[in-house]
Amino acid sequence: MNPLIFLGIPIGLAFGFALQRGRFCMNSAFRDIIVLKEYALLKAVGLAILIQMVAFAALDMAGVITISPNTFFWGANMLGGFVFGIGMVVAGGCASGITYRFGEGMVGAMSAVLGLILVGLMTTMGAFHPLVVAIRGATTVTLADGANLTLANIFGIPHYALAFGIAGVALIIWAIRSKSSKGSSKEAESISVGTKIFKKGWGWQATAIVIAIIGILAFIASTAAGRSYGLAICGGYWTTIQSLLLGQNLIGWLSVMLLSTILGSFIGAKIAGEAKLRAPAPKVLIQTFFGGCLMGFGAALGGGCNITHILTGVPQLALSSILNGAFIIFGCWALAYFWFVRPMRNL
Amino acid sequence: MAEEIKPDETLDVRGEICPNPDVKTMVKLKKMAQGQILEVLVDYPLSVERIPGNAEKNGHKVLKVEKVDGPDHKIYIEAKGG
Repeated sequence: MNPLIFLGIPIGLAFGFALQRGRFCMNSAFRDIIVLKEYALLKAVGLAILIQMVAFAALDMAGVITISPNTFFWGANMLGGFVFGIGMVVAGGCASGITYRFGEGMVGAMSAVLGLILVGLMTTMGAFHPLVVAIRGATTVTLADGANLTLANIFGIPHYALAFGIAGVALIIWAIRSKSSKGSSKEAESISVGTKIFKKGWGWQATAIVIAIIGILAFIASTAAGRSYGLAICGGYWTTIQSLLLGQNLIGWLSVMLLSTILGSFIGAKIAGEAKLRAPAPKVLIQTFFGGCLMGFGAALGGGCNITHILTGVPQLALSSILNGAFIIFGCWALAYFWFVRPMRNL
Repeated sequence: MAEEIKPDETLDVRGEICPNPDVKTMVKLKKMAQGQILEVLVDYPLSVERIPGNAEKNGHKVLKVEKVDGPDHKIYIEAKGG
């Protein structure tokens, strides 16, 4: 066993703590654009992606990490993303959302994790696996030299140029927009830094910056441990269960990081006084389990969850992650519209 | 001592999953008459942070957010009425 896999412990602890403090859930981020007209978490996701986009490109140029886009299998990315997006609305949280709420003691999230593990394993290695092989096999596209597609290499643009360019354009748009909407600054609260970090939920800027820094360190640490990728979640659950219950030796950086993430979010919740075992009605537990099942299928088919694709893949400009991420959002919006937007409008 | 708030209705969304505490609160407030007070019992941290802002955005008046124990909170909101 490579001892560097234990670098996953500090990364996971910090990740779980930040997820819990920042309430970092992409289901809330995407769903609540249409349900509650809330944009704070969406901004956190966007900023975290941009910071990582620049950092990954710079670290790749420096030879510290290697940009490692996932394989583009458009059929599996589209279907997997869409099913995952529907699943996270049913489960009440994305992969990171249900993981940090697991640590907080929310039994509904634990039940979703159970579904994610069960059907995820059925899809990666069980009854649904032939379907994955068939869909991926029929829709995989690579460059002529076998390289996985990115937004840069399909147009023959240097990776760093496009990454810096996108981040630069976003920065200019942001500067113009924030200039035109100034004057809405809230009164500064007179609370200590300690209270801000440990007791209060974080603002979206702090959340984005901390999550991005953890994402960057995760890529470096994971590379050192022999895994050339950044943050992910679902694979951590599957490899842990495969190792503990199915006798396969798959414990690696990701499993260690994931287990530490749950512990980190528990620590964050405990310090803030938000940790408590609490369960919804039994029928909601069945609902979140079913949602987790859909997420497990979607993630296993599409090659990853929202963390693998949106938080870590999109900053690498991976075409697979951009497509998969878009379909996660479509799936989320499709169900959220029928479940929340329409009923609220018809009141 | 602070004045005791007497709610007209209580909504218990403890243990509920995201975003049900937010949605159920907004739906309930929409159905209440002007000046009626809703007491929301909630233990989901994101909703504790967002319900007051959303209620204000929809024209309701947040009277008080009270921490009870651990993640448990009580939020008192005066409905704007139809």
